[in-house]
Amino acid sequence: MGGEGFTEEVIRLAGEEIRTCIQCGTCSSSCSTAHLMDNSIRKLIRLVLEGRKREALASDSIWLCTSCLLCTVRCPRGIRPKAVVSALRQICEREGIRSKDASFERIFMDQIRSSGRISEVLLSAAYALRNPDAAVPIMEMGIELLSRGKVSLDPGSVSGMDEIQRIFREFENE
Amino acid sequence: MDPSERPMRIGVYICHCGLNIAATLDVEELRRFAETLPNVVVARDIQFTCSDAGQNTIKSDIAEFKLDAVVVAACSPRLHEPTFRRTITEAGLNQYMLEMANIREQCSWVHMDSPALATQKAKDLIAMAVAKASLLHPLETESVPVSRDVLVIGGGVAGISAALDLANAGLRVYLVERRPTIGGYMALLTDVFPTNDCSICVLAPKMAEVYANPMIKLMTYSEILAIEGTVGHFRVTGVTKPRYVDPTLCKGCINECSSVCPVEVPNDYDFNLGKRKAIYMAIPQSVPLVACIDTNACIGCGLCAEACPADAVKYDQQSEEFKLDVGAIIVATGWQPFDASRKEEYGFGRYRDVVTTLQIERMLNAAGPTRGDIVRPSTGEIARSVAFIQCVGSRDQTVGNPYCSRICCMASLKNAQLIKERYPDADVAIHYIDIRAGGEGYEEFYLRAQRLGINFIRGRVSSVEEGDDGLYVHYEDTLLGKTLMKRYDLVVLSIGLEANRDAEVVGNLLGLSRRPDRFFEIAHPKMRPVEAHIDGVFIAGCASGPKEIQVSIAQGSAAASKAMQLLFKGEIELDPTVAFVDRDKCIGCRLCVDTCPSRAISVKDTAFVDEARCKGCGTCAAACPVDAIEMRLFSDEQILAQIRAATAVKGEYPFIVGFLCNWCSYAGADLAGTSRIQYPTNIRIIRVMCAGRVDPSFVLEALRRGADGVLIAGCRIGECHYVSGNLHALQRAEVLRGLLKEIGIDPRRLKVAWCAASEGDILARKIEEFVDELRDLGPVGTELAAALPSGKV
Repeated sequence: MGGEGFTEEVIRLAGEEIRTCIQCGTCSSSCSTAHLMDNSIRKLIRLVLEGRKREALASDSIWLCTSCLLCTVRCPRGIRPKAVVSALRQICEREGIRSKDASFERIFMDQIRSSGRISEVLLSAAYALRNPDAAVPIMEMGIELLSRGKVSLDPGSVSGMDEIQRIFREFENE
Repeated sequence: MDPSERPMRIGVYICHCGLNIAATLDVEELRRFAETLPNVVVARDIQFTCSDAGQNTIKSDIAEFKLDAVVVAACSPRLHEPTFRRTITEAGLNQYMLEMANIREQCSWVHMDSPALATQKAKDLIAMAVAKASLLHPLETESVPVSRDVLVIGGGVAGISAALDLANAGLRVYLVERRPTIGGYMALLTDVFPTNDCSICVLAPKMAEVYANPMIKLMTYSEILAIEGTVGHFRVTGVTKPRYVDPTLCKGCINECSSVCPVEVPNDYDFNLGKRKAIYMAIPQSVPLVACIDTNACIGCGLCAEACPADAVKYDQQSEEFKLDVGAIIVATGWQPFDASRKEEYGFGRYRDVVTTLQIERMLNAAGPTRGDIVRPSTGEIARSVAFIQCVGSRDQTVGNPYCSRICCMASLKNAQLIKERYPDADVAIHYIDIRAGGEGYEEFYLRAQRLGINFIRGRVSSVEEGDDGLYVHYEDTLLGKTLMKRYDLVVLSIGLEANRDAEVVGNLLGLSRRPDRFFEIAHPKMRPVEAHIDGVFIAGCASGPKEIQVSIAQGSAAASKAMQLLFKGEIELDPTVAFVDRDKCIGCRLCVDTCPSRAISVKDTAFVDEARCKGCGTCAAACPVDAIEMRLFSDEQILAQIRAATAVKGEYPFIVGFLCNWCSYAGADLAGTSRIQYPTNIRIIRVMCAGRVDPSFVLEALRRGADGVLIAGCRIGECHYVSGNLHALQRAEVLRGLLKEIGIDPRRLKVAWCAASEGDILARKIEEFVDELRDLGPVGTELAAALPSGKV
């Protein structure tokens, strides 16, 4: 399925340096969510270079990246593994391949669109409704956070909503 | 026979180079064209001109046609100029009566898709060569006596090896070492790979030999302050720092003085693991075996002076300046360890149990601070588990060291073995990216380490964390594909080798160039491994990059043998292609004195060029406001003749005349050829020794004769073969652009470019860009026409 074109595209989006990867694993072992990933960031880069598009795009790892950039800071070859993740997300988006967690991002963006910011409580609630499995731990944590005043029920409001709407419109027109 | 009395008789030889030239260029047409050129009495095309048959043809023609000069249109003069100079010398001509037209690297190989235009360009190149050849003069090489003494800078194993070889061959050697003892890093190591023999046991006899050899003058605790002169006669000034101990009196007993010294400081010879006194001896095997007082630590209590039975402590000792006159210099200034605290994630400097390779070497050393025990510095207990982390400060672009330090894999394999042999139950692991064991016996050494039960974990460690009970190492086992964490008692950072910052002074004094990795650059990365760019200067050991002991020793010997070749005859031939002054024209303005990078010009009433020192760059000739300085080769009239020949038929638009410096840009253009990088045919390249040679009159002449643009290309800024020639070129070009604007010519018609010898692609791209720019500007003179109200010239 056009494996080579896939490699070229990721390289175009994330930089030529990817070709110089020595598979040392500095990225994966620097990664705070590596233990949750099915393929480590290092392996993801290997999959990209091998043109194994289906495996790379199906990988959970793409969606578990927290963008902390430690991989990118530490890579001895000057590769930006985070940029690889972003590139893969972009390709997934275009090709309609969603991870099981894409619903979260959808809810997240919907809230931004309607009120300009997110409310932790509403966001968690909406997510819990769609993922009943996750509901109990979310509620447990939510109660704890509420009792300590770490989250608020009132999302508040932002000025310049029309500006935010314009950004969404422009993005969608692209 | 005097060329001034009758017209020159020139032979032109056009090389097919098999199909390298003939496949693109119409060599027969080139030959027919050459026959029509003025002064040419014979022109031939030859299959391989550099072959014996080709050379014999030239030789017999010289005799038969009574040739005065020869033009060979073939490959780059940088390749075969020496060959053909020899050829014509054998036939009785002066070697300088040769000119080459570069129709391979700078024509057939770079214009493979446009044979017709390439052939036209080759015609121009041949016409230019013939024009220059018509103005050549025989030049005589002069021999001058040289000093047969050699200066070796750096007393590590490479410097020791060089000094001993030179001395044993009968040359006098001055060995200058910055520290109080010779021996370098090798003297501090424990057993060394791949034989695991004791380092100091094999080195100490060599150190003693240096001390005992009457042909070696050893100068420790000394530094070089100034170096003047050139090959054969370097005048060196240096200083020996006071050690406050009279070396002629000190018996080297050291205990008497140091045991009473009340000051303790971290021992830099143990890489700060142990302690030493303010009066100290670097190592027990120090050469010379003389104590030294560290003035930063000494409190001046006077106890050591009282204790010394030989009365050797002299607080009033002064530094002593020395002056040397040497024929050659060997730079063996070595390396410095990577500063491990720069990799913050590994915790060196924060966690006491994180140490470096050099510290573990000292720990393993029976004479070291722990007497050979491997301990956790935090507790003093024996370490039960040890991790080696490879590639710390090597292969790492985040610290600016993309190179492999080459010895660290073997050093860790060795240290891991030593630990495992001493503590068979210890858990010893090596965290590596790739194991590089490429020397003789090295792979077997690796095999031995594996058999000993050392754990090899493939994956670069991302961080080290200190916990309550030890150090936690984070890594991905890339063969398992699992991110893991492992506890160790002791972590050894396998630190890389860096260019020695302290050697920069010497490098600057000598004008040595440095590679992007900051090590000194050798004259050719493969073919001339121990020669510097500067005549009479050689580089050995880690000064030119990380090397193991064996290679450093070999390079020391190689540098010594190169110095011997140079000096044994007792005289060297001077290159006659230098500058000279027409005393009648000189007005004594001193502009040339300031311009000369070799400091070869002095002025009394008029200027005078020291021909032994002049390197022939020609920057002075271009700077002289009254044209009183002339070059013996690459003279004004020769270059102007080339310009006129190039512009005689303007066969192309846009038409560019290029002046490329011999060392970088011209070499870069050659590289574009050998790499077959294609670029437009619009440029006619004139070789000059330096971009600084380009006289404004050359540029004006080219534009006046119809060139649409002029390119001046030199070495990258900071990398000029003559130190500052390119800066002079730049300055001159800026002034010239102002002048062009003044007279109504678009200043963009003069382009300046910098390009290294390794950047053929950049040069090709610059030419391409310039062609496009000039196409936008229109033919030369368009701007003049546009300036007139009628729109006509």
